[in-house]
Amino acid sequence: MSYNASFERLPISACFDLKGAENALVEWIGAEILPGFPTEANRRRSADGLSLDHVGPRHWLLHADIDREDELNAALRPHLAPAEVSIVRISDTMTTFRVAGADVAHVLAIGCPLDLHETAFPEDAVTFTEFFGQKALVRRCAGGFDVSVEQSYGDMMEDCLTRALR
Amino acid sequence: MRDRRLASGGRIDRSRPLAFRFNGKGYRGFSGDTLASALLASNVRLTARSFKYHRPRGIVGSGPEEPATLVELEGCHASANRAATTVRLEDGMAARSVNCWPSPGLDLGAVSQLFAGLIPAGFYYKTFKWPGWRLYEPAIRRAAGLAGAPDAPPPDAPPPDGHFEAVHAHADVLVVGAGPAGLMAALVAGRAGRRVFLADERTEAGGSLLDRRMEIAGRPALEWVAESVAELTSMPNVTHLQDACVWAYREHNFLMVNERSPANPSMLERNWRVRAGKVILATGAIERGLVFPDNDRPGVMLASAAQAYVNRFAVKPGERAVVFANNDSAYAAAADLLASGVDVAAIVDSRDPVPDSARDLAGGIPVKGGSVVIGVRGRRSVKGAAVSKRDGQGASTIDCDLLLHSGGWSPAVHLFSQSRGSLRYDESLATFVPDEAAQACVSVGGASGELSLASALRTGAEAAAMITGTEMPDLPTTTGESYAITPLWRVDAPGAKGRAFLDIQNDVTVDDVHLALREGYENVEHVKRYTTGGMGLDQGKTGNINIIGTIALQKGVPLQDVGTTTFRPPYSPVSFGAIGGIREESVVLPYRHTPVTQWNLDRGAFMYEAGARWRRPGYFLRGDETFQETVNRECRAVRECVGVYDGSPLGKFELKGRDAGRFLDHVYTNLMSTLKPGQCRYGLMLTEDGLILDDGVAMRLGEHRWLVSTSTAHADAVHGHMEELLQTQFPDWSVHVTTVTSQWNNATVCGPRAREVMAALGTDIDLSPEELPFMRFADGHVAGLPARVVRVSFTGELSFEINVAPRHMRDLWEWIMEAGAPSGIEPVGSEASHVLRVEKGFLSLGHEVDGTVDAHDLGMSWIMSKRKADYVGKRSVELRRRGKAVRRELVGLLPADPNDQIPEGAPLTPGGEKRPSEGLVTACVWSVVLDRWVALALLENGKSRHGETVHVRLKNATVAATVGEPVFHDPDGLRMRS
Amino acid sequence: MMLIPCPFCGHRNESEFAYGGPVKPDRPDPHAASDEDWVDWLTTVPNPLGPVEERWWHVKGCGTWLTIWRDTRTHCVVEGSGDAG
Repeated sequence: MSYNASFERLPISACFDLKGAENALVEWIGAEILPGFPTEANRRRSADGLSLDHVGPRHWLLHADIDREDELNAALRPHLAPAEVSIVRISDTMTTFRVAGADVAHVLAIGCPLDLHETAFPEDAVTFTEFFGQKALVRRCAGGFDVSVEQSYGDMMEDCLTRALR
Repeated sequence: MRDRRLASGGRIDRSRPLAFRFNGKGYRGFSGDTLASALLASNVRLTARSFKYHRPRGIVGSGPEEPATLVELEGCHASANRAATTVRLEDGMAARSVNCWPSPGLDLGAVSQLFAGLIPAGFYYKTFKWPGWRLYEPAIRRAAGLAGAPDAPPPDAPPPDGHFEAVHAHADVLVVGAGPAGLMAALVAGRAGRRVFLADERTEAGGSLLDRRMEIAGRPALEWVAESVAELTSMPNVTHLQDACVWAYREHNFLMVNERSPANPSMLERNWRVRAGKVILATGAIERGLVFPDNDRPGVMLASAAQAYVNRFAVKPGERAVVFANNDSAYAAAADLLASGVDVAAIVDSRDPVPDSARDLAGGIPVKGGSVVIGVRGRRSVKGAAVSKRDGQGASTIDCDLLLHSGGWSPAVHLFSQSRGSLRYDESLATFVPDEAAQACVSVGGASGELSLASALRTGAEAAAMITGTEMPDLPTTTGESYAITPLWRVDAPGAKGRAFLDIQNDVTVDDVHLALREGYENVEHVKRYTTGGMGLDQGKTGNINIIGTIALQKGVPLQDVGTTTFRPPYSPVSFGAIGGIREESVVLPYRHTPVTQWNLDRGAFMYEAGARWRRPGYFLRGDETFQETVNRECRAVRECVGVYDGSPLGKFELKGRDAGRFLDHVYTNLMSTLKPGQCRYGLMLTEDGLILDDGVAMRLGEHRWLVSTSTAHADAVHGHMEELLQTQFPDWSVHVTTVTSQWNNATVCGPRAREVMAALGTDIDLSPEELPFMRFADGHVAGLPARVVRVSFTGELSFEINVAPRHMRDLWEWIMEAGAPSGIEPVGSEASHVLRVEKGFLSLGHEVDGTVDAHDLGMSWIMSKRKADYVGKRSVELRRRGKAVRRELVGLLPADPNDQIPEGAPLTPGGEKRPSEGLVTACVWSVVLDRWVALALLENGKSRHGETVHVRLKNATVAATVGEPVFHDPDGLRMRS
Repeated sequence: MMLIPCPFCGHRNESEFAYGGPVKPDRPDPHAASDEDWVDWLTTVPNPLGPVEERWWHVKGCGTWLTIWRDTRTHCVVEGSGDAG
């Protein structure tokens, strides 16, 4: 009996790294574009196909489908942003694995030391933690978790996940 | 062969017989057996030979405390040094004893018994000193050692295709042990809705209840166990594991659980790493032995073990028993044996008088009060017990084939002690019990010295009720037991002669401890190390307390003052595989790929790690080329026409903020803030002690935006360095750092015909030397892809570093190979890159930069800005150079014979003589431009020694070489600026 | 495996962090400090038997460089330089 879980490697999505004071970011980007800032650490706000993850002090990640990358790039104008905010397109930096199935919690626990139980890691939780020894962004998806790792570790993660699912 | 299995009873399944082999002979057991119970049922008594003296040994215990019978499992169960009492019997299992050859019955090593008197404690340390222990160690290990790691299985064995897993878990309450106390605690915590993790090392729940005949609520106790297990199974918030040993209690309530038989049949073992809010230690108590002459003979067994064999496994461990005890609990064991048809000849009780509480339990068995066992008849199997009064009077021998002994109960405080909880000696129990907890844990039941069933249930419930803040449940009634004890640390009656073992596994006797004390090893930790008492796989579970008692008696101090040795993980042996989990084969170490990795593999590139876990191509063998021919071909391509390499692994960081330029001026030795957007500059970063941290390139993207490129290997170190400075030293500086290492891949086209290739690719960037000179960059398109082209060079040739998003990298690479084909383009691996940089004298961290050199030694004084008042490392470099110490400086070496290759790292000594070295060779490569070996070296005062001949001292030769500039190609750098 | 309190993320496994060493005094002014003071600052690292103030980098988490007091005898993360308790 092996685990009732499976994984797939997702195509890249649009991702922008935002750093700076919240009000400075809003002022530059415009509140109407963003889904609103999450009020707590390691939580996300989603709206209109965009999600904004609060992943560090004065640090957010803005995600969307890859076909909205140009549109977002035009709206965020990273190279023109004022000195006090940093906006960097990092869509290629991470590769995401969608892990799902009845045993998904156990499979995640093979790679991740963080408590991902629903009481500790609710629906809107998102955080950088560790997955098979590497830095990874973890959040929930339907029936499982999306785990993003630095793109260069993608093949190794696939190797690890395949072994973990045996 | 006599079958000692009882006709009924026990926790075995008589409908499921299992065949197994032990030391080459076939036997049968049943499902539910351990290897030990199946051997006893088959009347195999001589099961082992001892570690040092090769004395015959049998089965002593019934669980992880077993000190004598260690086995090596073969074939698909392959595992070394398992206690036979913890091996769950499986069909087809093959095992053999570890310390004997060819069998425990005919053990050639047993001749060492003849010299036993010559091998006291510390013998090895005293004897095998000259000229060195290492000369003797292999032979001694062979003679005395335990089993080795499992070898590859024999060809006829089924393949060991299983795997291990290590997994994290989180619990509000971790309950260790599923005996009465643990089950009760888990029920209370589970009913309160807490996330409960219950782990127990036995194959089924019940703990000591499995071994005894007890009642709970007026019914057999195992009915209560079954109901409790069923209730726990119904709770989704409870994880309940059996055959799962909690073997380590680490800091911050982190515990390790080794699950030995996971449900997944292809999984060998699973190791849980549990972080617990609270820990309830219900680990029970372990019976200890008594110390009397020849207490290690096959057939001498712990009373509780014999009780377990008749009750749990329906095996009579003997036909006629003598029980030797200093406490009441052995009386219950004697009664159970009697009820199972074992003739109990006598109970020998050292207490005088024997308390009524004990006599009431004897049930007609003759009790010899104030008496002790002073010897054992029978060498390979017990034939009788020599008994006398404690003063030696009235000696007689009682015939028996089983000698049971009980020295009382020791709470299994191992995990509590591992958690750094303190222990205290309890006089009434004559044992150490938990005192002050150091972490969020509580000991209950036998583990806390609450030995009776009633108090186990009560303390288990109390602990869980307190933790969960819930009401105490009603506790069921139980049968009572008695544990009254008067300690007896060793038999010292006149007439008691022979070896009395304290640690049966490591062959440590009372005499050994006395010797250690005489020789000044007075601390219990020293006694342990000098005698090896308690250092076996069983970690002295049955014997340590007797060692402490022996020390106390000898020194005339209370046991509390002797104290215990430190308990350390593992509580029971654990496979390394389980600790590692899935980290096997390809994923033992992490690895990183670029989008070109598959392309490289498809072309037969030899891949290896080249820093920061990146797997990179070393070289691209073609046809029947030798390694050197391959490297030469790749080098010549770059020098003579064009080559391309994948520079993606270089670390890259985007810096943004008003203070970014000022910050870069602080971390680099040279001035960066004067760069204009579009310009880049090579720079050195130092640590505060003046040593070189990294070399890289800073690019100014805009007024407040910068891109810092680092060496592959030091990307993380540079990142940590920058963030630490920004967050701890300059928190009010406005600089944001974003890692973009994997947002930008790059292919670097280099060589005199690089411009041709760029033109063939097509670009909207003007690449003319006027518009895009050396150390400039421009954004635009290459081959239709959004790209940034950077004019840096790590080869000394005209180079275009084409940076694109990784999603385009593979396309870019293939188009470059296509567009470059007419120009003779070659992919270049790390080996050729190394040659090319050595020819140019470009430094490499780890070669020329070794933690002793500074920029001046490397001939790079120009990079140490004199205009900046301060930067990281400046003061330290100045301070160090103010001294008059001789410096080792970078030079080039040309071996006198152009075909002499010098090994990298070889020392330079004056005249090549056996004298202190004056430097070392940092790199040596075959130069394709000079058609000879060339080397870089760090040489004392090297800069002023150009033209001199120096000597490399090798093991059997010296190599003469001429000192020169550390550059062998295009010293003025005209080619890379072209 | 310690649990380290991150001011942004809360308690996290030690394996998410990189050790940054004991906290040293502020960097002296390199133009004002004597040679002795400079060398002392560079080379003397606090190494007490007991609470030590030290830095950790939450490198696999939010990236914060944080400071904790850890008792070197017990691994307990303690409040300030007070008794480990």
